[in-house]
Amino acid sequence: MAHVVLKDLVKTYGSFKAVNEVSLTVNDGEFVALVGPSGCGKTTTLNLVAGLTSVTSGDIFIGDRVVNDLDPKDRDIAMVFQNYALYPQKSVYMNLAFPLQMRKLPKDEIDRKVREAARVLDMTQLLERKPRELSGGQQQRVALGRALVRDPAVFLMDEPLSNLDAKLRVQMRSEIKRFHQDLKATIIYVTHDQLEAVTMADRMAVMNGGYLQQYDSPAQVFAHPANMFVASFVGSPAMSLIPLEASTANGGAVLTSAEGWSLALSPRNAQKVARATTRKVVLGARHSTIKLHKSAVAGAIPAKAYTVEPTGDVTFVQAFLSGAIVNISVSPNVAVAPDEQIWLEFDQERMHLFDSETEMALEAS
Amino acid sequence: MTIVSGKAEARRTLQSARSDVLRKMWEHRADYAYVLPAIAVMLIVIAYPIYYTIELSFFNTPPGLQLRDKIFVGFNNYGAILTSGVFWQVTFNTLIWTVASTFFSFALGFAAALALHRDFIGRGVLRAILIIPWVISAVAASYIWKWIYHSDFGIIGAVLVELGWASRPPNFIDSVSTVLPSLIVVNIWREFPFAMIMMTAGLQTVPEQLLRAAKVDGANAWQRFWHVTFPHLRNVSTVTILLLAVANFNSFIIPWIMTGGGPSNASHIWITHIYELAFGRQRWGVASAYSVLLFIILMTLGYFYVRALSGNERKDGGA
Amino acid sequence: MSTVSETIPRGRSARRVRIDGWRWGGRAFLVFMLLYTALPMIWMLLTSIKSGFAAMQFPPQWWPDQPTLASYQKLLDPQNSVGQDFLRFFWNSLIVSTATTILSVIVAVPAAYAFSRFTFPGRNFLFFAVLLRNMFPAVIFLVPLFILMRAIGLVNTHGSLVLTYLTFGLPLAIWLLKGFYDNIPVQLEQAARIDGATRFQAFVLIVMPLSAPGIIATAIYSFIGAWNEYIYAYTFLSKNEQLTLPVGIQRFFSENTTDFPGLMAASFMMSVPVVVLFLLLQRYFVRALTEGAVKH
Repeated sequence: MAHVVLKDLVKTYGSFKAVNEVSLTVNDGEFVALVGPSGCGKTTTLNLVAGLTSVTSGDIFIGDRVVNDLDPKDRDIAMVFQNYALYPQKSVYMNLAFPLQMRKLPKDEIDRKVREAARVLDMTQLLERKPRELSGGQQQRVALGRALVRDPAVFLMDEPLSNLDAKLRVQMRSEIKRFHQDLKATIIYVTHDQLEAVTMADRMAVMNGGYLQQYDSPAQVFAHPANMFVASFVGSPAMSLIPLEASTANGGAVLTSAEGWSLALSPRNAQKVARATTRKVVLGARHSTIKLHKSAVAGAIPAKAYTVEPTGDVTFVQAFLSGAIVNISVSPNVAVAPDEQIWLEFDQERMHLFDSETEMALEAS
Repeated sequence: MTIVSGKAEARRTLQSARSDVLRKMWEHRADYAYVLPAIAVMLIVIAYPIYYTIELSFFNTPPGLQLRDKIFVGFNNYGAILTSGVFWQVTFNTLIWTVASTFFSFALGFAAALALHRDFIGRGVLRAILIIPWVISAVAASYIWKWIYHSDFGIIGAVLVELGWASRPPNFIDSVSTVLPSLIVVNIWREFPFAMIMMTAGLQTVPEQLLRAAKVDGANAWQRFWHVTFPHLRNVSTVTILLLAVANFNSFIIPWIMTGGGPSNASHIWITHIYELAFGRQRWGVASAYSVLLFIILMTLGYFYVRALSGNERKDGGA
Repeated sequence: MSTVSETIPRGRSARRVRIDGWRWGGRAFLVFMLLYTALPMIWMLLTSIKSGFAAMQFPPQWWPDQPTLASYQKLLDPQNSVGQDFLRFFWNSLIVSTATTILSVIVAVPAAYAFSRFTFPGRNFLFFAVLLRNMFPAVIFLVPLFILMRAIGLVNTHGSLVLTYLTFGLPLAIWLLKGFYDNIPVQLEQAARIDGATRFQAFVLIVMPLSAPGIIATAIYSFIGAWNEYIYAYTFLSKNEQLTLPVGIQRFFSENTTDFPGLMAASFMMSVPVVVLFLLLQRYFVRALTEGAVKH
């Protein structure tokens, strides 16, 4: 196993910058998820690490080696692809054996390793089958096995679960996590599904538009999103972002809406707002931090319920506030009807404030 | 911040797209190694002859003279062609030959592809038999049909006499009025399988779901064909028809072997006429001028072909 | 809904439930096409097993009274001058066609792969090359090519034919193969390269086997094209011992205009190799067209 370091990594296609000055360190044995919407540069970044794409500028270290100019085969990596990329003309056994044959291992050693990998992944009975005779989950497992059999320094995974159905995805998620824990493997995992990143990774690197937005543990990213993009991308349903204007009233800071209402801020939040470059501030709140009242309460803001979605153990209510959609979760035994008048109370401790100009999170000093 | 810079990025991409081409070519210089052999061969054997033909079309090459002693005559060759009576007869023959061969080859091939689309016992064998004429050499086909059309011992004439439809075997290819249709029948015999293969391949790409959806919507067999199958095949039909048209325009072997253009030029088409001018009468300059005219016609056809194709692509690509 | 799903069998065609008029019309049409296609070939075979005298009768012998293989024996007899010529023409055709086929594959495979995988400027050139090749009749190239071949000393050699056939078959071959490579996920190669293969190994070990149907189709196409080609062989070759079959047969029977059984036997034997080859491998060909040219 080895650590991976990306230093000021840039990849351009013509004048299009796919990856822009990305720097991050993946520690030995760490599971890092690269996450972001499609086209954000995450797969390009992974391909750069794999050596499938050439680096425009910057450095990639695997272990202590700079691997910029090494062929993929010399980087001591293994990769699992979204479409599994199993060799269709080869049996499962030959698929697993291929990386070992390429390294010119003796036949009996190849056989031993292939059977060992098959045993670990519980697919010994599938060894003679062709990939097309396998289910999606089994193909996924073979792809994993082909990566595992080589004992590489780093595992690269490119959306390995996105072709599976929902139930299987949850199951494979825990299998991959278990795989990581057992092997203490260094894994770089690309996904567009923030939930996968949050549930599996030690650290997640959120990317957008070729830029690294935030790189931290899922808990930190969730609790302290660095900017509005991360705030809206991580978490489901998405964090509500309400554009407001900061002003002072009765000696304290308040946020006022074009709709006429205003929200008094705690001293700490007032401090944050004071650091903004503009009066226009965006209030961010996760569904679980907003309290829904069915009657007027001091400090709560009046709104109208728009849709009500029961999911079983929690009911999601959507309302419009200052032109933005606000998600609120309530206990299922609270009955709310569409178009019903409701009052929303924001948790001052757990609300987020963003500068609408820079889109960055506002922090108290 | 990222959103804003992303937009600026996109704008810059548009502006500098043109100047990128050269740099891209340089960045991809290694990739050209793969195609270099192909392109080199194509240049030598296609580009050079085209150039040489155009050059030669402005020269006179009297028989018996060495080719390099050619005499510059400007546009005289072109003038001679356009004022000769044979030119118009040959052009008329070529038109009939091309249009009729293309139309019937495509119609028969498409119909056969449709009739063979439904699975039945022996379908594979039948399809294979229908393809054979396309595979065998045009020289062999010409001889087979020459024998079938034989004015004394031909089987068609004999059948007609046997059935009492004719008192004596007709002269199919020795008569000015029947020679061209008779040769067209041979050409269709050899070409409809190509249309059949192309349309069979095309039919396999018609999405079954659409046909079912149309059926659920109450469309009958003809409506399903007209509203689902046919529009889906428009692209491959266009390609097939144009390839057939060009191939027919360029036909040589069948008329050359079966009749040599006769009787009295009744089955001469452009290519056989050009060949005879060049290799029969050594009139290289005139033959080259003919060829250049042919280029121009074919390039015009080709222009519409490319436009038809790219037009379709634009429509498809929008989805 | 249920009646609809019952009347559509799981088969490949929803047109199965067409009214009977269509079905019988289709069958009648297929019978007509079968007769149109097969009767000339059957008559060729029947004539080829007649004696010269039996062939020239009116009304004709619909079925040969005394079938004989004399024409075939004559053509295949190395002791006889006719047989010597025919066997030599056959051998020449085989050499020219095989060489063309092998070279076509060697040149077309890397080119098609590059056109499919790399995004260098000029890829669309391929498309126009296909067009160009089909646009210009062989006759146009005859004179300049003849002069060119003379300049590089290839006149009266089989090399001149191989070079010419190669160029005319290449664009379609590249086009067909490109369609195949387009359908092979690039991730397969990437996986192979990460698994320890070089780019070349990834191509040879993973991609080549998957594109085998396309390569076979390309090979058949080149072979048949070369085997049947007439004009260039007719123009470039003048020595009797170098002629290929189409030209050889034509030259031979312009001197023996009445030997129709012999001509039919020769036509038949000339057709056998390409027909057999095509029938054996035709499914690859249709697949190549579907995947390569039509989906495109």
